[in-house]
Amino acid sequence: MTDEARLLAEIHAARALMRASDLARDTSRRPGTAELWAHASREPSGPVDLAVVRAIRGDPATARRYRALLAGQAIAHAPLAAAASDGAVASRRVGPFILEILPADDDAPPLLVLRSSAARPPRAIEAMLGDETVRLALPPAIDGAILVALDPGVPEAARLGEMLRDRACAVFLL
Amino acid sequence: MTGGYDEACAADLAAVAEGRDLSREDRAWLARVVVGAVRPNRDKPLWDLAHALAALARLTGARDGRDLVTLALDPGLARADRLEARFAGTGTAVDARGPILPDGGTGWRTTWSGLARLLALAEFVLTAEDLSQFAAVTGWLDDLAAAPDAESAASFSRRLARHLAAYRHAHLPLAPLERRFRAILGFLDGRRAFTDDDILGFWRGQMSEGDRPGFRTVAEHFVTFEAASALLGGLAELASPASLDAVEGWEERLDASLADLAAAEPAETLAALLATLPDGPKILTGAERDDLAEFLRLEPFHRTRPLTTLRAASFGRVQSGLANRLRRGGGGADIAERTACAEAETYPALAERVSGLTAHLDRMLRIAAALRVPAEAEGLSPKARDALAAARADIRRIRRAGFDDPDRLAAGFAAADAALLRLAEEAGRLARAIAGLARQRPLELAFATDRDVFAEAFAEAYAAEATA
Repeated sequence: MTDEARLLAEIHAARALMRASDLARDTSRRPGTAELWAHASREPSGPVDLAVVRAIRGDPATARRYRALLAGQAIAHAPLAAAASDGAVASRRVGPFILEILPADDDAPPLLVLRSSAARPPRAIEAMLGDETVRLALPPAIDGAILVALDPGVPEAARLGEMLRDRACAVFLL
Repeated sequence: MTGGYDEACAADLAAVAEGRDLSREDRAWLARVVVGAVRPNRDKPLWDLAHALAALARLTGARDGRDLVTLALDPGLARADRLEARFAGTGTAVDARGPILPDGGTGWRTTWSGLARLLALAEFVLTAEDLSQFAAVTGWLDDLAAAPDAESAASFSRRLARHLAAYRHAHLPLAPLERRFRAILGFLDGRRAFTDDDILGFWRGQMSEGDRPGFRTVAEHFVTFEAASALLGGLAELASPASLDAVEGWEERLDASLADLAAAEPAETLAALLATLPDGPKILTGAERDDLAEFLRLEPFHRTRPLTTLRAASFGRVQSGLANRLRRGGGGADIAERTACAEAETYPALAERVSGLTAHLDRMLRIAAALRVPAEAEGLSPKARDALAAARADIRRIRRAGFDDPDRLAAGFAAADAALLRLAEEAGRLARAIAGLARQRPLELAFATDRDVFAEAFAEAYAAEATA
């Protein structure tokens, strides 16, 4: 049978892998994929596992895996801000979405506006800057636009606004 | 064992195995599927996976790929009993034995334990290469969730097959292994049985052809060949015309044989046992561990082929020294000196080392027993009582780290004694195999003959470097 040598090679490699995986136990205590996924797919206001949050902050490899999981489920994402910012109005493109921050005026807080013709509107936004992440639930779209008041009285909303103005901030629309 | 995979692949598999706490059998299955050691069709598990996920999408009303990812990554669904508890009786895509998917005439189905394995494969496909393909696979799962039927499953399985083929291409360099096995098959010319001298003869042939594989590496190939030769015989029979219909259930039997080959190494491999011996009292020194690893690396040859084991330990080390010298471009004895095998450890010296290790392991085992059995235990024969007392007294004579601290000592031995027992048993079997060999032929003589053979092979193969 012409396949014999190939099959022997495969058996040899499978047995070698069995030995190697006996020895390759990971003792780093990094969060497993399941834990990271639970964190990545949580509801915006849901409980968080602080050990996972710490690992994402403190361990670049875990942070990278977490971003890969976010990107995999995001409707759209932007690893880094690419668009210019003119100071008064921050505007950037995330996949088919345009994000704009309208400045505060006398009696209204700044407003985050998301526009798109995408079929499925995102339910949450997550911003990542350095080791900091903020996730916020998004309301339903009205006339193709999602509006979020970045109320200074709501620390997460205010922080999200500040982070989105930084061109190094990564954005995931979930 | 060497070759055939890279570190990334070993890490990918280890992560899935650990996260799901897979049994040894399931780990072996996963390793086989990833490598492709599945017959008659190496993509069959991917076909099954695609259908299983389609059935799960129906059962759970998955809205998109994300929902399927959540199922695949959930460690709470890693076992058959949990899957059954969660899904049995929850819909039409399931019956008491496991999930089903209508597919033309007979439909597709698997068992709960089959589903547990397939979800481990799903996790592997999603998370491999440090999640670099996660988004792509999740996208395919979106398509499957949108139309969870046999047609989507078939198309998903084709994508998975291409995906895994690319993975193998990147992480499983099988071609050199395949070449060597083809050469072995040619060398044996249809024979399934081989002798120690066949291994040596084959290695010499490869050396003179300029390939210069390590003797140990070649011996490892023969370990696999021997383990698989019965299966190959069966395959050859199956390949003959008319037998496929005649041999009922051949596909299941073939799969069971392959499963055994991957998993049937002893429940815990000796290499893993050595690596997992706890730190604590110095039951084995680093040098003793290295020696044991060297002598037992060709399992089961240390029991069945002591001559090959001695050759690998003595001249295999000379050859590694040669290879390292060439890699470094200097250091230690020069090439010509090394090829003469002047520093090869003689077989009587190796036999001496084996019996020293065996005696030491037996001594440690007696101490382990003494630490397990309280001094005042009842119902012991006077002889056993004396032996335990002697072992307890022996502890004080051992000048090794940790033996002067009773608590640490007891904890250390309690964690190690199962491993110790196996290692002592295997070292004892090697010692007996070598004694059997020595009865047929004096070890000095065997060594002198082999040294001439190896020295000639080395001198010829490394001639260019020796005179450079």
